[in-house]
Amino acid sequence: MRKQRYSGLIVLWLLALSVVLAACSSSPQSTQTEAASTPSSTPSANESSSQANQGTGEHLLQEPLPAQDLSKLPDRAKQRNDAIIVTLTNPSGAFTPYFTQVGYDGNVNSVLYTPLVRVDTNGLPVPGLAEKWEVSEDKLTYTFFLREGLKYSDGSPMTTEDVEFTWTLLHDPSYDGLNSVVETNIKGGKAYKEGKADSIEGIHVIDEKTISVTLEETNATALTVLGGPILSKAYYGKDYKFGNLDYIKNLHANPITNGPYKLEKFIPGQEVRFVANEHYIFGKPKTEYFIYKTTEGDTWQFIETGEVDYGSFSATTDNIEKLKGLGFLNLIPSTASNYGYNQFNLERDHLKDKRVRQALTYGLNRQLIYVDSRQGAGSLANIPSSPILWSYTEEGINPYPYDPEKAKQLLDEAGWKVGADGIREKDGKKLQINYLGSKSPNTDIFIAVAKENYKEIGVDFIPEQFPDFNTLVSKVNGGDFDMASFSTTIISDPSQGVSSFIKGETKGYNNPQIDELYAKGLATDDIEERKKIYHEMFKILNDELPIMFTNYTKSVIAINGRIDGFELNPLAGIAHSLPDWELK
Amino acid sequence: MRTYLLRRCLYMLLILIGASLLIFFLYSLTPGDYVDNNLSLSEERKAELREIHGLNKPILERYVNWMANMFKGDFGYSLAQQRPVLDLFQDYIWNSFLLAVVSTFFTWFFAVVVGVLTAYKQYSLLDTLVMVGIFAAMSIPSFFIGLFLIKVFAVDLKILPPGGMITTGSRAVGWEYVAQVLHHMLLPVAVMVLLGVGSLTRYFRSNMLEVIKQDYVRTARAKGLKERTVLYRHALKNAMLPAITLIGFELPGLFGGSIIIEKIFNWPGIGQLYMQSFTVRDYPLLMGFTMFLAILTVVGTFISDILYHTSDPRVRL
Amino acid sequence: MSIPTTAGRPEKAIRALDVSDSLWRQSIRQLRKNKLAVAGFAFIAFMFLICFIGPLFSPYADGKINPANMHQPPSAKHWLGTDLLGRDVLTRLLQAGRISLTVGLASMALSMTIGTVLGIVSGYYRGVVDQIIMRVADLLFTIPGLPILFIMGALMSDWKIPTDYRLYLVMLMLSIIGWPGVARLVRSQMLTLREREYMQAADVLGLSDKRKLFRHLLPNVFPLLIVIATLSIGGAILSESALSFFGLGVMPPTPTWGNMIDAANNVIDFEKRPWLWIPPGLAIFLTVIAINIFGDGLRDVLDPKQNTSR
Repeated sequence: MRKQRYSGLIVLWLLALSVVLAACSSSPQSTQTEAASTPSSTPSANESSSQANQGTGEHLLQEPLPAQDLSKLPDRAKQRNDAIIVTLTNPSGAFTPYFTQVGYDGNVNSVLYTPLVRVDTNGLPVPGLAEKWEVSEDKLTYTFFLREGLKYSDGSPMTTEDVEFTWTLLHDPSYDGLNSVVETNIKGGKAYKEGKADSIEGIHVIDEKTISVTLEETNATALTVLGGPILSKAYYGKDYKFGNLDYIKNLHANPITNGPYKLEKFIPGQEVRFVANEHYIFGKPKTEYFIYKTTEGDTWQFIETGEVDYGSFSATTDNIEKLKGLGFLNLIPSTASNYGYNQFNLERDHLKDKRVRQALTYGLNRQLIYVDSRQGAGSLANIPSSPILWSYTEEGINPYPYDPEKAKQLLDEAGWKVGADGIREKDGKKLQINYLGSKSPNTDIFIAVAKENYKEIGVDFIPEQFPDFNTLVSKVNGGDFDMASFSTTIISDPSQGVSSFIKGETKGYNNPQIDELYAKGLATDDIEERKKIYHEMFKILNDELPIMFTNYTKSVIAINGRIDGFELNPLAGIAHSLPDWELK
Repeated sequence: MRTYLLRRCLYMLLILIGASLLIFFLYSLTPGDYVDNNLSLSEERKAELREIHGLNKPILERYVNWMANMFKGDFGYSLAQQRPVLDLFQDYIWNSFLLAVVSTFFTWFFAVVVGVLTAYKQYSLLDTLVMVGIFAAMSIPSFFIGLFLIKVFAVDLKILPPGGMITTGSRAVGWEYVAQVLHHMLLPVAVMVLLGVGSLTRYFRSNMLEVIKQDYVRTARAKGLKERTVLYRHALKNAMLPAITLIGFELPGLFGGSIIIEKIFNWPGIGQLYMQSFTVRDYPLLMGFTMFLAILTVVGTFISDILYHTSDPRVRL
Repeated sequence: MSIPTTAGRPEKAIRALDVSDSLWRQSIRQLRKNKLAVAGFAFIAFMFLICFIGPLFSPYADGKINPANMHQPPSAKHWLGTDLLGRDVLTRLLQAGRISLTVGLASMALSMTIGTVLGIVSGYYRGVVDQIIMRVADLLFTIPGLPILFIMGALMSDWKIPTDYRLYLVMLMLSIIGWPGVARLVRSQMLTLREREYMQAADVLGLSDKRKLFRHLLPNVFPLLIVIATLSIGGAILSESALSFFGLGVMPPTPTWGNMIDAANNVIDFEKRPWLWIPPGLAIFLTVIAINIFGDGLRDVLDPKQNTSR
């Protein structure tokens, strides 16, 4: 930057502004994989007492809306008849499942690989490359049966040897990935990892098509975790030596895969090009080429000019109106399968009291912060489960509407009396909330509203903002705070949404009843039974509020009107229906 | 001069060693590390990963290891991108360099011409308009300028591409490819020139104002030389002298990338990669890149000093 | 290389010596005669005044959010419309000016002062002093800005420094590490000036360092300084919002011009709600222009080479 020599400040500001841009513009795209949709879900918590409900997305886009006017289709899109282009923030080029460090590579891998077990729109397992599976009576042994005629993109056959190899590889001590397979606790896995065994005791190859695996303890997510993508042993296992996985890094750029598309070319920072895989078990995809286009900044201009066919936007009134105005896009509303929350520091005395936590929730105009100021691109959360999951419920759940009087009453009951300066006190201590958030336009809004709301109920709200997630996390880990804003990762099984409340995972919260229910919820596969267990758990958590549940985010998927065959899957992203996409 | 050069080279080496130490510590002290980035990891797994990545070792030991590898030509391996840092530089730096070289050239070109003209006609309408334009560009974030140009030229008029380096999915090669890249470069280069030209123009104008008032210029005019000859042959040459020293400072900028422009125009440059790596604390990449820039900076200042001396031999260093 | 700036110079230097009346006082007198400069100065003063007094007359000075009134375009009730949380843009604009103007001017002045002093010292004394200052500058040039800001943010948070003061501390810190750019420019100017004949004359006359520096060298560096200062003021005003991005600036809901523009930086607000970003943008623009005009006048007056009889 030229200005550097005049003043360091200018450089800093330019630099920083771009970060601001990152923060703003990442919102439409980051919903990419998370993109989810069940248009019918209408959380009732919205009925809280907000003074005004400005035009929210709710009445603007409840149902999918097909393109109104295909004649507006830009030339650029018209001319492209054998390729579909979708935006993706920034893949790095590590195209080996389990070995990616950047989330966007995961999106690429989901196109390159089809897992053994897939999940449907409700988060329930359905067959993928495995034709079926059996679970033993004690829920400890899983047997997978592979489909007939599975092949990798180089034409080589895929067998249970590959499955065994993949599971084993992830137990290598030098493996530096996410570790979810290891955490399923396969029998003998630990011994292998520590080098005490040559193979994993719990894995049995029964024949070319059948493999079984035995776990140490029951785990409801084991089926989908173990039923993930399978690497070719002939290719990825050729140079494998125990304790050294460095060789795999050299294979990232040239993957051998088994999904609908295979990698054609990766252009760093620009595109990932795919070509249809003729060996794909469910038949070659209908469109010959598929491209992920890297877009760090805004995607609007690409959608408007038809350079890309698909984009995901925050479901604000503004965005929806603009998208509708373009006319050539199919619009599909969607809710993400995660939830936002404000973490309480439960080791602080004043927050140990349930009534204070409830008062802080009642006393905050969440409707204004998470729904109205975001123009309807969100709905309120009161339990740790997204409305799109089968575990969601509103029955017996307190919606905590904005109610300052109730909040004051609760604080009075808890012994916090209003002092001379309007701030509540107890035993000479002022009621202060030291809040930590990462810098973003949404946090700015939160702080502006919370400061005013909490002042009204006599709470001194002291906000601090941090430049990025990492800094925020390290500060929170330091324990010097009262409240901090976060959101969870994508949740496909309800157990993932509550796992942080058990066995002291959330510091200062310990409820044996929750622990017990959690174990029960994992021990059974029966959906109805699990529903009951989770609803009971949600009711307890909703009342005790170990964290303040805040919001679910809503987005709008915009897809070019000349594409047929798109079906939204909240949990598997676009890869789920991609092979069926067809250009008209 | 010879001893001066030798001494400077020695200093350069010392500064770089000092800088490497300082930079390494700064990055290590930055709150949060690579492992913290993932909330879903258990404490146990975090400890395991820190062990694998060597993040649990004392800072000094990590520094010494890193330095030792640097001297062996090994810049390390990006944790997030899963590729050697040098390969990544190859992929991204040249794209940034392309934008920077072209826009720097035009920036200097316009700055010299406009600077001379506005100085010559100080307080004229042109001078006033240029001044207003320059400060308007400075008061509005470049984000808005970029957005505005994209909206007008790409979305509404459809005469320029909306971003990126090539048309998505394009299979162009050879000259066709070159033409496409040039077409895509137009807007980002225009914005970079617009943003950069202002300060440089003011700088040239100020220098020129000083020179024009001097006696040898008056003498040249008195001799009956054409105004243009006076302006460009005599005055400009002297007005350029102080500016020459600035050339050295451009060096790191040519390779450093421009985070904001690259983001607005989806240009696959190193600036974006750096920012992305910073948010996840990808230390090998951050260190490699910062050191690379540090070397360029030190070399750049060195060149500046030398240029300054050669352009005006009276200046003692 | 041709040798510029010879004839006439010593003569001028001597003339300057004769004038025992302070060059500075003389300058101020001339500055008053420069109408443009006076206008520029008056405008800045006016901005300060209206920003500090204006909000007192606003019915929306408490800055309360008003959900019923989000994103209203300008009207008789809200002259510049309302923002995302229904707050009056005009009131916020004026309140923002208080911080933006003070911070912008102060941080510019601070970093200019440090840079100029070190540059002059370095260029004037040369030798070891120069080597030390310039090598430190080289070192500072190589330091990446991001980690520094992150570390500062974390430290100030750990030390529980009230958020209201953090911005000023950071500005101070940035000036302390951000001087090399200005210093180098000033130094190179000094190196040339140092070799001019009138300086040799001054040496021969045995003038004191102080006299040489303040009477003869500083006025010659002034045009350059004014260019740098006027150019950096806009950046300094905007950099406040950049700092708040690092959690180092003012805390919302306190407005500044920078964070008001930032809040509108997306395609839709850009197209649909110009009243959110045009007012703060214009405010910065006018301030920068006014300061620049004032600076130009100042330069004309101070520059010994310019024809001051204009």
